[in-house]
Amino acid sequence: MDYSWLDILAASAALLGVWMCGVIRLRTLLAGLALQVAAMAGITLYFGLVTHATHFLVLAVVVLLVKAIAIPWYLAWAAEQLETREDRGVAVAPTLTMIIGLAILATCYFGASFIAVSSLGNVGAAGMAAALVLLGMLLMIGRRLAISQVIGFLMMENGIFLYGLTQTPGMPMLVEMGVIFDVLVGVLVSGLVIFRLNRSFEHIDVTQFRGLRH
Amino acid sequence: MNTLLLLVIIPLLISLTGLFSRSARWLPRVAAILMLVQLPVVIWLVLPVLSHSGSVATNMGIDGIGAAFLVITTLVATAALCQAAWLLPAERPNEPLITDKRFTMFYTLTGLFIIAMYGVLLAQNLGYMWIAMEATTLISATLIHYHRTRKALEATWKYLLLCSVGIAFALLGTIMIVAAQHTIPGEGTMHLGTLMQRAAQCDPRLLRLGFILCLLGYGTKAGIFPLHNWLPDAHSEAPAPVSAMLSGALLNCALVAIWRLSQLMHAAGQDHLVSQLLVPAGAITVLAAALMLVRQHDLKRMWAYSSVEHVGILLLAIGIGAGPLFILHALNHSLVKVALFLLAGSILHLYGSKSLRKLKGLIIVAPVWGGLLLAGSFAIAGSPPFGTFISEWLILRDTITAHEYLAAGVVVTGLAITTIAVVNHVARVVFGKAPTKVLERPHKSWALVPAVLLLFSLVAGLAVAPPVISLLTKLAQVGGIAQ
Repeated sequence: MDYSWLDILAASAALLGVWMCGVIRLRTLLAGLALQVAAMAGITLYFGLVTHATHFLVLAVVVLLVKAIAIPWYLAWAAEQLETREDRGVAVAPTLTMIIGLAILATCYFGASFIAVSSLGNVGAAGMAAALVLLGMLLMIGRRLAISQVIGFLMMENGIFLYGLTQTPGMPMLVEMGVIFDVLVGVLVSGLVIFRLNRSFEHIDVTQFRGLRH
Repeated sequence: MNTLLLLVIIPLLISLTGLFSRSARWLPRVAAILMLVQLPVVIWLVLPVLSHSGSVATNMGIDGIGAAFLVITTLVATAALCQAAWLLPAERPNEPLITDKRFTMFYTLTGLFIIAMYGVLLAQNLGYMWIAMEATTLISATLIHYHRTRKALEATWKYLLLCSVGIAFALLGTIMIVAAQHTIPGEGTMHLGTLMQRAAQCDPRLLRLGFILCLLGYGTKAGIFPLHNWLPDAHSEAPAPVSAMLSGALLNCALVAIWRLSQLMHAAGQDHLVSQLLVPAGAITVLAAALMLVRQHDLKRMWAYSSVEHVGILLLAIGIGAGPLFILHALNHSLVKVALFLLAGSILHLYGSKSLRKLKGLIIVAPVWGGLLLAGSFAIAGSPPFGTFISEWLILRDTITAHEYLAAGVVVTGLAITTIAVVNHVARVVFGKAPTKVLERPHKSWALVPAVLLLFSLVAGLAVAPPVISLLTKLAQVGGIAQ
């Protein structure tokens, strides 16, 4: 079987997602996220080189700068300020979450054709995109800390980005940029809220927020 | 293009005044006056839509449904900021945490929030609509946090996270709708008008999947059961003017997005899917919200659940394809709900609590407020002669003519439970033994905005005649596909 660069990058992003489900240290988790986004940027670059369209190249650079460097760096800085290093997860142990993640990945691999646009020929990548969305959700459900939830959300966003990249002939540039801008502002706002959560509750463990249950 | 710039000039001005003003003294009044100017400006700007036909060719523009909701949104924001001019400065002596800077920031963000909501309504492109919708989440999250209490903070986090995740699904759905165009040569488009023309040739499986994901995403934002979890917290912990805007304007924006997508599915010949999904979802939302209204301990939370109930009714209207009734009921709900949230804010200030156990004897403490609260609760429960009665009645009639008997039955049950629950709770607030002392003397002027809104609702109830319905029908069709 011969795999294209696209398949290899998409699959490694999804495998990174599975691995991240089992990671406890926040810094490692953020490094995983940065690598995953770098894979996305690599795929964008690949499209740029194949189609000779400049907007893919611009997009690749923006993705790399904003989502692979700025956002993980900001979150790592926030984690340091908050003196949180580890997230041991809710009820289910991270290792077990990782196994559930593997099952999700396998299901998405075999079910890819259901959501793929076959005429574009990137069926495998569609499965990996769906897997990333679901793995992101899994990470959000399985973790305690507010920061990990933001990481899970960003993984979901990676999956959506991968789907848009591989299953459409190209999204409008303005929309792509708008989405990236929204994600950036979203991360900044949630960082701000996390700081305030830490100040008034002295922790950012979302499972301990009980004030609103009547 | 010029029209669009004129639309946002005043909100932008409010935002900039908030950013650059050093003192917080005049700001609330300036903002209220600016919004009172904005209302006629918006009406004047959207009027030309009535003589237009055909779809909007650009990515941002005003169509019929957009025009109607621009007016509603502006009306809600005007009412909220007028009341805020009295309420927020009066609250400040008790809130040392809210510094001058934070107070002016409130106005900066409110201006941006209004612009973001306009963006959702103006967008004729699914991508732009998504970006504007996410922007409303990010901006309003910081507004909910205004009081800086622990509960408000928790509600902000819940709102930010749940709505962002929900709306991420809408982005995936939007991209799937673009991917569904692979059957047509050339690049995919996100422009609604073009999509409507192409809809019939699109890959139906991906289009349906895209619609379902968008419904999940925008439905979270609209507070459809069981995705409503964040709504009561956010709407009850936010300051009253923000609660009013969230309930009276932002929920409508999410529903307009669902309406636009349902029109797209209509053009694709997938009406069946729309009614199959929206009618049961709407009916269940009404019933679930009604049941949750029975046990309430908090005045603002009660109105939040009542918003969930009305979202259900509006969803039902979209599901049966009743565009004019969707606009009419959205207007009626917004008028009454904004009045009620603003009254709740005043009552909260007077009693220093929003717990239903502590609120008693309002009719003795503040007769005007008590009377208005009673009238408003009758209106929100859908009693004649208020506008909500007419629009609920017409939606139910159309549900039955669409042969959705089960849904109609469920909704009627829900409405009956709501009426009993709301009137029961409110009666205990209005009557009963008055507390021996309240924090402050009630200001008569604080009743002005709610009174005007309820008067509008009364007029809306009495004015629904065939010409009004045909005007709304025209609005619902402009820019869309003729039904």
